[in-house]
Amino acid sequence: MTHGARQDPYDQEIIRNALVAVGDEMFDAMARTSMSPIIYEALDYSVGVTDGKGDLIAQGNGTTVFLGMIDSLVRDILAKFGERGDIRPGDVFISNDPYEGGGTHLSDIAFAKPVFWEGELIAFTVNKAHWVDVGGMSPGSFTTDATEIFQEGLQIPTVKLIDEGREQEAVFEILRSNIRLPQDSMGDLRAATAACSVGEARLHGLLERYGRDAVLAAMAGLLDHGEAMIAAELRKLPQGVFEAEDWIDDDGLSDEPLKVRVRVEISEDRFLVDFSGSAPQAPGPINNSRTGLVSAVRTIFKALTNPRIPANGGCFRALEVVCPDETVFTARRPAPVSTYWETMLYAEDLIWKALAELVPDRLTAGHVLSVCAIIIAGDHADTGEPTILVCPLVGGWGAMHDRDGLNGQFSVADGETYNIPVEITEARYGVHVEEYAFHDEPGGEGRHRGGKGVVLAYRIRSESATFTGSFGRFKFPPWGVAGGRNGSRNYAEILRQGQRSDPPEIYGKAARFPLRRGDVVRCVTATGGGWGKPEDRLPESIAEDLRNGFVTEEQASSYGA
Amino acid sequence: MIRVATDVGGTFTDLVHLDDRGLHVAKAHTTPPDFERGLLAAIDGSGLDGKDVEFFAHGTTVVINALLSRRGAKTALATTAGFRDVLEIARGNRPDLFNFAFAKPRPFVPRARRFEVDERIDYQGKVKRPLGDDALEALAEQVARANVEAVAICFLHAYLNPAHEIRVESFLRQRFPELSVVSSHSVCREWREYERTSTAVLSAYVHPLATSYLGALSTELRVRDVESELLVMQSNGGVATVRGALNNPISMVESGPASGMLGAAELGRRIGEPNVLALDIGGTTAKTTLIADGKVRISSDYRIEWDRTNPGYPIRIPVVDLVEIGNGGGSIAWIDEGGSLHVGPVSAGAEPGPAAYGQGGTEPTTTDANLLLGRINPDLFLGGERRPDMEAVERAFDGLGRRLGGSLKDVARGVVRIANANMVNALKLVSLNRGRDTRDFALVAFGGGGGMHAAFLARELMIPKVIVPAQSSVFSAWGMLMSDLRRDFVRTRVENLSRLPVRSVRKTFLTMEAEALQQCQSEGMPLEDCSTARFADLRYRGQEHTVKVAFPSGKIDEGAVEEAMIRFHAAHEQEFTYRLPNPVELVNFHVVVTARAGRSELARLPAGETDAAAARTGSRLVDFDQDGECMADAYDCSRFRPGMRIEGPAVIEDGTAAVLAPPRKEAAMDDFGNIHIDMRASP
Repeated sequence: MTHGARQDPYDQEIIRNALVAVGDEMFDAMARTSMSPIIYEALDYSVGVTDGKGDLIAQGNGTTVFLGMIDSLVRDILAKFGERGDIRPGDVFISNDPYEGGGTHLSDIAFAKPVFWEGELIAFTVNKAHWVDVGGMSPGSFTTDATEIFQEGLQIPTVKLIDEGREQEAVFEILRSNIRLPQDSMGDLRAATAACSVGEARLHGLLERYGRDAVLAAMAGLLDHGEAMIAAELRKLPQGVFEAEDWIDDDGLSDEPLKVRVRVEISEDRFLVDFSGSAPQAPGPINNSRTGLVSAVRTIFKALTNPRIPANGGCFRALEVVCPDETVFTARRPAPVSTYWETMLYAEDLIWKALAELVPDRLTAGHVLSVCAIIIAGDHADTGEPTILVCPLVGGWGAMHDRDGLNGQFSVADGETYNIPVEITEARYGVHVEEYAFHDEPGGEGRHRGGKGVVLAYRIRSESATFTGSFGRFKFPPWGVAGGRNGSRNYAEILRQGQRSDPPEIYGKAARFPLRRGDVVRCVTATGGGWGKPEDRLPESIAEDLRNGFVTEEQASSYGA
Repeated sequence: MIRVATDVGGTFTDLVHLDDRGLHVAKAHTTPPDFERGLLAAIDGSGLDGKDVEFFAHGTTVVINALLSRRGAKTALATTAGFRDVLEIARGNRPDLFNFAFAKPRPFVPRARRFEVDERIDYQGKVKRPLGDDALEALAEQVARANVEAVAICFLHAYLNPAHEIRVESFLRQRFPELSVVSSHSVCREWREYERTSTAVLSAYVHPLATSYLGALSTELRVRDVESELLVMQSNGGVATVRGALNNPISMVESGPASGMLGAAELGRRIGEPNVLALDIGGTTAKTTLIADGKVRISSDYRIEWDRTNPGYPIRIPVVDLVEIGNGGGSIAWIDEGGSLHVGPVSAGAEPGPAAYGQGGTEPTTTDANLLLGRINPDLFLGGERRPDMEAVERAFDGLGRRLGGSLKDVARGVVRIANANMVNALKLVSLNRGRDTRDFALVAFGGGGGMHAAFLARELMIPKVIVPAQSSVFSAWGMLMSDLRRDFVRTRVENLSRLPVRSVRKTFLTMEAEALQQCQSEGMPLEDCSTARFADLRYRGQEHTVKVAFPSGKIDEGAVEEAMIRFHAAHEQEFTYRLPNPVELVNFHVVVTARAGRSELARLPAGETDAAAARTGSRLVDFDQDGECMADAYDCSRFRPGMRIEGPAVIEDGTAAVLAPPRKEAAMDDFGNIHIDMRASP
């Protein structure tokens, strides 16, 4: 123990719980004050606390994608500002640099506040959230046809937004003049800094109550506890070397699929993943950066070992991620990255696929995987105000060894993510929603059936609008396990004036497609992969599916029972 | 004249009644699934004469039990064509982020019984596709074939224009007179189709059961000559007539917990403590809420089966806004694989109960720890009926002791400290996290464990005063005695207040008030006793979450709207630390109708002996955590009188509860039998 005398074990327990609660409180503070639906409904953000060295102490998450972002951002700040002694009480840092610490894509803006106690840097409170727009060539900023990062929005290298309590007006002005909905986003900025302050106040409360040594000991104890909890589970995993490969549809510019692969090596005390041999970084915006790769691997590692305990840096001590530079998983500046999640999720899915049959109590067959993010931008049909509808879509999850997959559920990338209610969509964005229901396309048949994907159809009511969408797994549907069939694919179909074209106008990626009044965008998400042979499905389950309309008569007969 | 309240708990059914001589308590065992039997046993055991009863209130767990045990009616759903899967898609969220084997909650109505109706209303309330007779006939055929007991109806935008729901509802009632029919607009007038559908479905699901239960109970009461109308405790902290309750049976879902919180507010008002943190510590959970200016906070953001890993099922009705944690007397202490000590949320329940019950419980619980620390008097354990099995307690703590080191008492103290820390966190959630300073509040602690833990929690949160009410173990039932008839009416209608649409605001409030009063009258509330209050849920334009403020009563003019906005800015800043120059939107109009149910004055206890020595029964070693183990005076609560004043370390106890006064803190009884501990005093 480096922090003075032996600490009272019960106090330690109480402080550790309180530290974890700080993450929850910051998370709540942010949701309740945010101005943008993508934050308050989709909860596409994350908050966290690190110690003074940048080790993750506690994190509150709305999604899984930020699991490696909080601590790596702090390490970036420590490297850039700490070495020149320029981290001071009252500072707040802002960053969206995709390639450095905390990087994802420009749309995710991070804030970090150093927490001092009696002159000593004790911790950082951090948050990172998806802003509805950060400028660039496309409303909503992320797009599927960018060729360099400069088209994807305003770049904010890690800088001080607030310097010893003084707001840097220049930074605020640059932000305001480079984004499309400054009023909403400035509200989000207030929410973010308020969340950092809530975290700081709670930490100060703990430091005052229990003293520096006890709090630092509790932080160290949390990390050790995380490590011990994970180690206990790691020993239960199958040991050996496991491999998987798959294909990413394309990079949005060409039609060429990209091959990706993983080699997983599990021993009693180490979990090593190696993505060597995966495709090089691409010209289009599906590139992912190294911090994104670490987040992805951490997420599946947590799912495989202990999904329940609060995540902290100690949980990931046994983890090792290997990947050469300049692959599609580890792109370098100035590669475009705005739909990075499509590729990031493949890193998770590869490990998932390699281990599904070996860890059947924790893993399903392949699921929708893609976030299926869409943007509909245009003027509100009734008020004329500019609107940008940005949202992810729910889809089908894979079957498990003992049950059918989940119907209509967000991708693993999301989590405490909420769909936008139809009633709010129609009022706020002026579009008409024609249908929100499970579809009946074939796919996912098995002894246990993949969960159903959905169709969500928007009819444009204003003069004109544009549609952008990224639907991964358009060419390569979710995988089945143990003889279960693959699921169905994700796609968007455009019905001009409500009419299907011949051939149908179907896309996996769409960048700012022009739409006119009366056009319909049908978003269709994947049904998950099946588990086990279709002919082994119980007849009563098939009968039940027929009653519920989960399979058509024709599909029921394809079970061959 | 006698006022009666009955509260059905997990183990006991409490009956309290108040007459000129004071408060009386009768208990019977709870008798699931026929809860009325236990209740009737309590009535019979109380020796009440039905003819003298002028007020009979009832808190029931029938609704929540039917939901949790999935024993409601076979239910169908009629919904807008194209949207029959809204109920199952739900919001698509997965709070258990890293669990890839996540199990999504199953809908209460399977897909085969979700029927689409050809109709559509747009977001401005205009009919886009009229509802035709063919659609009604098609629905009737499906309903008939499905052979269901209940039907819920939810159409898109019905919160704005319920015409189609009304038509389908009356059609189904006419066609199927035996069927329970619940339409969404009659239980919830807020937007968000999933939440409204879920509320309507759950309400329909419990409707047949609630109808038969309340019907049977009313009959039995008449048999016992109880002439006064049966009043049912609602989740909003008020009571309703049976007719009112059955219009929206789901409003009984938090029937029990609400009354304790309401009681704390009422008690606070009567003894001059308008700012109260209420804490109810029971056998399996602890519940808390914050009461500012005598007002219990009401929220519609309620869900059942909702926790960190489960999205649960939303019920959008006004519910007393409380935080509940799995931390009560029966909560089990355990060590995880990483060596960390936790208390709860798993509970030993009533069977087998804590190890001390000697009924085969082998796990260490908070109650067992309190026994080891001397905080519970073994002679008074379980009302003095049974000696605690201390050997079983020591065995239960043995395992923890070996893992954690230290003496048995060290471990017991640690367990209670962690239980207290859990409760402190819950108290913080309702206070500090919402911008309220705990130093401005009194802690009103009740339930079986309230008095035992309160002083430790107050010290941690720097709360200056602890109040343990008289008869604290049946305080929830007492709260019911004090409740008014109350009905809430909430309607979503988004208005940009900064453009001062005074006429439209006025029209909405006045229409709602007229309709609300009419409905209350039809449910048997006497119109002349009714009064209305207005609230508004406001937010900054662009925000999602709203803040509820009281909307000025009286004339609705520009000044009133201005005042509401001023209140909003202040409330927002208090809760969220900042205010914005942005336009303010009104999202929900909220009208509350209350009618006095003729509540009584608190009985003043006769003055008498003021020397506490008269109530002293002896002394014993009690562990006071950071104050160490002290020889504490013990006092018999039943002999403790108003005006008596003692200094801790002391315990004031009877067979139902114990109040701990730490060293150097003063405890005294007020005229009504409540015990006050001054946490500031350190003589």
